Amino acid sequence: MVDLQLLFSSVVFGFSLGSIYFLLSIGLSLCFGLMRIISLDQLLYYSIGAYFAYSVGVLVDNFWLGVACGMAIGGLAGLAVERLVFLRIYERDITFSMITSFGILIGGIGVIKLFWGVVPRPVPVPIETQVSILDTEISVYRLVVIAIAGLVYVGILLFLNRTIIGKAIRAGIEDVEHVEGLGINVYRLFSITFIMAGALSALAGALHAPLIMVDPQMGLEVLAFAFMIVIIGGLGSIKGTLVSSLLVGQIVSIGSLIYAPLALMAPFAAMIVILLYRPTGLYGSPLLKR
Amino acid sequence: MGILRWWSGLLLAFGLVAVLRMFVPLPFANEIMIFSIYTIGCNFLLGRVGLISFGQPAYLAVGAYAAAFYFYYYGTNPYVGILLGIAAGILVSLVVGPLFVRLRSDYFALVNLALAVIIFFLMQKVLANITHGDNGLWFLTSLSSTPVLDLTRPNQFFVFALLVGFAVWAFYKYLDDTVYGACCLGTKINEDKLRFLGYDSFRIRLLAFVIANTTTALAGAMYAVYLGFVSPEITSPARAADPVVVTILGGVGTLYGPLVGAIAYTGMKDVLSKALGNWELIIGFLLVFIMLAGERGIWGTLEPRLVGLWSSLWRRRSPAEGREM
Repeated sequence: MVDLQLLFSSVVFGFSLGSIYFLLSIGLSLCFGLMRIISLDQLLYYSIGAYFAYSVGVLVDNFWLGVACGMAIGGLAGLAVERLVFLRIYERDITFSMITSFGILIGGIGVIKLFWGVVPRPVPVPIETQVSILDTEISVYRLVVIAIAGLVYVGILLFLNRTIIGKAIRAGIEDVEHVEGLGINVYRLFSITFIMAGALSALAGALHAPLIMVDPQMGLEVLAFAFMIVIIGGLGSIKGTLVSSLLVGQIVSIGSLIYAPLALMAPFAAMIVILLYRPTGLYGSPLLKR
Repeated sequence: MGILRWWSGLLLAFGLVAVLRMFVPLPFANEIMIFSIYTIGCNFLLGRVGLISFGQPAYLAVGAYAAAFYFYYYGTNPYVGILLGIAAGILVSLVVGPLFVRLRSDYFALVNLALAVIIFFLMQKVLANITHGDNGLWFLTSLSSTPVLDLTRPNQFFVFALLVGFAVWAFYKYLDDTVYGACCLGTKINEDKLRFLGYDSFRIRLLAFVIANTTTALAGAMYAVYLGFVSPEITSPARAADPVVVTILGGVGTLYGPLVGAIAYTGMKDVLSKALGNWELIIGFLLVFIMLAGERGIWGTLEPRLVGLWSSLWRRRSPAEGREM
């Protein structure tokens, strides 16, 4: 019988991990939904966010300022990449964007190595207090991470459902040509989405930084998990991304409680089962529209 | 005459590689041969069937580890190890293939990369007491020498690799000529029409998947024999892009693209990474540049020009001959 306190703490751990995964893969999912591109460079903004959280944290000794800086830089980097590269390849096949963005990811890792070197960097945990819930010691920082992810989810939902730009983006996910026909500049929508995605990926990286070591390969390490999450949830669905990232977070966390090496394999098995059941993921649209 | 023409391109290409061997160091030549065999599977999937796979390292590792387990635990004959690698490649592709090839092309690419990462974890952590984790399996000294082509000597290994490469290329060239090759191209260009003509696109894809990944597994087994050790590094996510990069560098869907790409890539890796020490930076931006410049690659750009040059030379000579008569 598994210890209940251990189980509870690993459930919290799973939720915090799932929250970070959610912030990370929402960018991938949004970019696919609206622009029909697979934007692997989101994982680069994830590393950028983590590195800025580290550097600003060292400079001014304030973690949250580092997070904000990382988000700003991540968004700007996303905008630059979108203007310079993706603008030229929107019309092309989906595999095209995948190869190109993989190139950006690898090249960006090279740039990171150029600036920060290959040595892994530690980031101190900003909130070290623990609270006792149900006789279990829980790190407050993990709860804060979960709360931030929840706020971001609500924020995205409000943005997409209440504002005119958000409604246009949602309509664009359904049918880009009709939105263009209504006289809305879809390329501006694309840029906005890209900035948002880049900033959220950077936020994921910055929040993840205190929990792991920051190193140049960190983007590639979470790549497989980001992939599995968007596959399980279905590309382009925000709700699906939330559900599947929490699912994968729990699988990793509870799996490692049962048998440590299993934790890395179990999400893959879950993905295979779900793909057998639904080839386009839990909430994915069955057809590729463009 | 027709038969000679069919073989002439292959003979010329591999003759040139054999000539190249005299000018470059042996490890470099061996690396090129194995790498080009590794890449042609990816090239076939991407150029002929339209499936992009970032997961080729997974199948490379399958071949390499099948051979490595045999060498480390059971036997010493390098040829048997390579055959086992091929068999493992067929087996694994047949198991995962039916599930993977029915996916849409974007999901296909993601699932393959996920498989590569899973095999990496499997070899590094889960099966660590069999694979010795990151230390890898070492068996260089335990390989036995064989009478005709002694694969334990790099010199004779190159001859073997050249012959294998020749056979693989002849096979892919033959595939291009068959109805099946046309069907593959059909699934890429217009799957609905192909289905309308009565072909089963699922089976075509599955066969292509098995063929391509078996070739990759063969390359993996050859790596195992040549290097004498196998570690999880072979399937690390950082190397997942290698075959795709080489495919695109050489020219997608061209027959000799992987060969040209492998030579260019290995050469650049050798020269540039020594000079700059930051390999990711170069390869990443090179990939983006090639994609934006029109994705035709080196051989894809050169081939039409060479053909044009050849035919214009031919044409210029023919009227002259006519006048003499």
